[in-house]
Amino acid sequence: MRARDEMLTAVRAAKPAALPRPDLAAVSRFARAENLVAVFAESARLAGASVLLTTRGGVDAFVDSASKPNERRVSMLDVDGVHHDATADDFANTDLFVCEGVIGVAETGAVWLPLSRLRHRAALFLATNVIIVLEQSRIVNNVHDAYAAIDVAEEECGVFVAGPSKTADIEQMLVIGAHGPKALTVLLVEG
Amino acid sequence: MIVDHASAAEKFNANPERVTWHDATLWYAREKRDRAAAEVPEWETLRELASAIKEHTLSHLDEYLVMFERAAIANGAIVHWARNADEHNAIVHGILHSAGARRLVKSKSMLTEECHLNPYLEARGIDVVDTDLGERIVQLRREPPSHIVAPAIHLKREDIAETFVEHLGTEPGVHDPLVLVGAARVHLRERFLAAQAGLTGVNFAIAETGGIVVCTNEGNADLGVAVPPIHIASMGIEKLVPGPAELAVFLRLLARSGTGQRATVYTTHVHRPVRGQHFHIVLVDNGRTTQLGRTDFWRSLKCIRCGACMNTCPVYRRSGGHAYGSTVPGPIGSVLTPGIDLQKYAALPFASTLCGSCTAVCPVKIDLDAQLYRWRQVVTKAGHTGRMKRTLASVGGKLLAHPTLLAGAGRVARVVSRIFPQTLTNRFAGAWTKHREAPEPSPQSFRAWYAANRRGKK
Ligand code: SF4
Repeated sequence: MRARDEMLTAVRAAKPAALPRPDLAAVSRFARAENLVAVFAESARLAGASVLLTTRGGVDAFVDSASKPNERRVSMLDVDGVHHDATADDFANTDLFVCEGVIGVAETGAVWLPLSRLRHRAALFLATNVIIVLEQSRIVNNVHDAYAAIDVAEEECGVFVAGPSKTADIEQMLVIGAHGPKALTVLLVEG
Repeated sequence: MIVDHASAAEKFNANPERVTWHDATLWYAREKRDRAAAEVPEWETLRELASAIKEHTLSHLDEYLVMFERAAIANGAIVHWARNADEHNAIVHGILHSAGARRLVKSKSMLTEECHLNPYLEARGIDVVDTDLGERIVQLRREPPSHIVAPAIHLKREDIAETFVEHLGTEPGVHDPLVLVGAARVHLRERFLAAQAGLTGVNFAIAETGGIVVCTNEGNADLGVAVPPIHIASMGIEKLVPGPAELAVFLRLLARSGTGQRATVYTTHVHRPVRGQHFHIVLVDNGRTTQLGRTDFWRSLKCIRCGACMNTCPVYRRSGGHAYGSTVPGPIGSVLTPGIDLQKYAALPFASTLCGSCTAVCPVKIDLDAQLYRWRQVVTKAGHTGRMKRTLASVGGKLLAHPTLLAGAGRVARVVSRIFPQTLTNRFAGAWTKHREAPEPSPQSFRAWYAANRRGKK
């Protein structure tokens, strides 16, 4: 407690004169994309994702085509897809992980995935290949709209994900598949 | 040890090809930043807002810290306060020790570099693995990072290949980044799955909701906290933003400014521990409050560590991050470090051309060049400048104050630089001229040219 009180006292003594909290009304007047689906697809592809426009009915067929029969697939779309007590080890050798996003952000190509959509937070990162299903109507214009649409604190944790994992730490050369998935597909479904 | 930026940079400049590569690679990052910024019509408004939000938050920092703490505790996090690096390190070690955890995976955190956490923990028997690829590379080489976003930017693939042959058992002569990243992936995945605790840095902390936000491209921070039962998040107290609406402003600026991406691959939010996990947040001061109290320099605390000022800085690009001898190099490093140890870092405010490029790109509008200039006054007053810089500065001051003296000096300079070879004149002009040719001296002074060409014209 001493450290806390000392730090707060020091901050109180040091802080500059009070400045007002900026009015964020301006963000509602920022440019809006005409075609949110098209801009989302462009942003997600720039981030290294594959993007496919399809229907609800087309999802299963795509998921089937994305993994071989002998590969390990975990799908949150199946009713009993993942056991409630799944551990990281259960996901460690997963070839394909399938889940559904809450919203998408046209500006960045990112999809919001709170923990409940993943069951285990490692699921999204341990699988080699990830497919995210997203309803086209759930795409918002920009990051401001995204935070207005979600409650960041609703669940234990949540992540905006834009594309497969990547690194440029060796000579700034972009390599896809650093620690997480080596491929990420967003299926934009109608409805 | 006192940092001598010029001599350290000379070492880096021993290999001109490498310097040229380093320079061009960072400039490429700057160009990507420009393209990304140009895509956003409201870019300048975002910068204004980001700056104003940070200034507001810093001017109410005590209230926001208390608000954050209250929300975080209500969320089930355990909040710790550390006045300095030692306290931070002791807190982290205490958490690990009482849980019996000996294997820690760590994602990028400049704060833990600043606190020298790794050696502290290693000396106490903890196995620390940095999991950001660039950080892992420099950790294996026992070097500090040379850039806050790209820690291994000073290395070429051959250097990294050599390190991997030694530590990861890759084939000698294999330099392909794809293969090297693949080897690191396998090596680090084992470490993730065996880890007993994960430590992350914090890009932003949300006061209203008590949550933390971490931005990465590799996914290493997520893996590091998803597997082990302990998550420790270490953050400087300046990382706070009021609420999620403010957070959005910064997220639009951060990746675009740093790497030219529209967003980092992962923007991870942690609010509560998942079942069976412990979530610790360590709030660290370590000199930040002192900086907050400096009228001329408190705005440096607005920094969101995007790296743009390094990428654009002509001195950083040509001297390398290690020349700064500080955790955070480049323009922002040269503004932060003199406040920590004025004598040790006295040279850094001078490692700048004051061209203002840093200020022009900074997403939170820190007046970096003006702060560097102000630190020069402080350093000079404290008597920490070398004799050469002092003489030059005082001669320069006299010349500028007397138009006739200045005109005469210009005449002398034009004659001298024509008569003597450049190697000789450069010897008196310091480190800046080492790899530079001065332009041909003009036969005419600017005054003469102006009198002949412009006077009286519109
Ligand atoms: S000072 Fe500005 S440009 Fe430099 S790292 Fe910080 S936020 Fe980025």
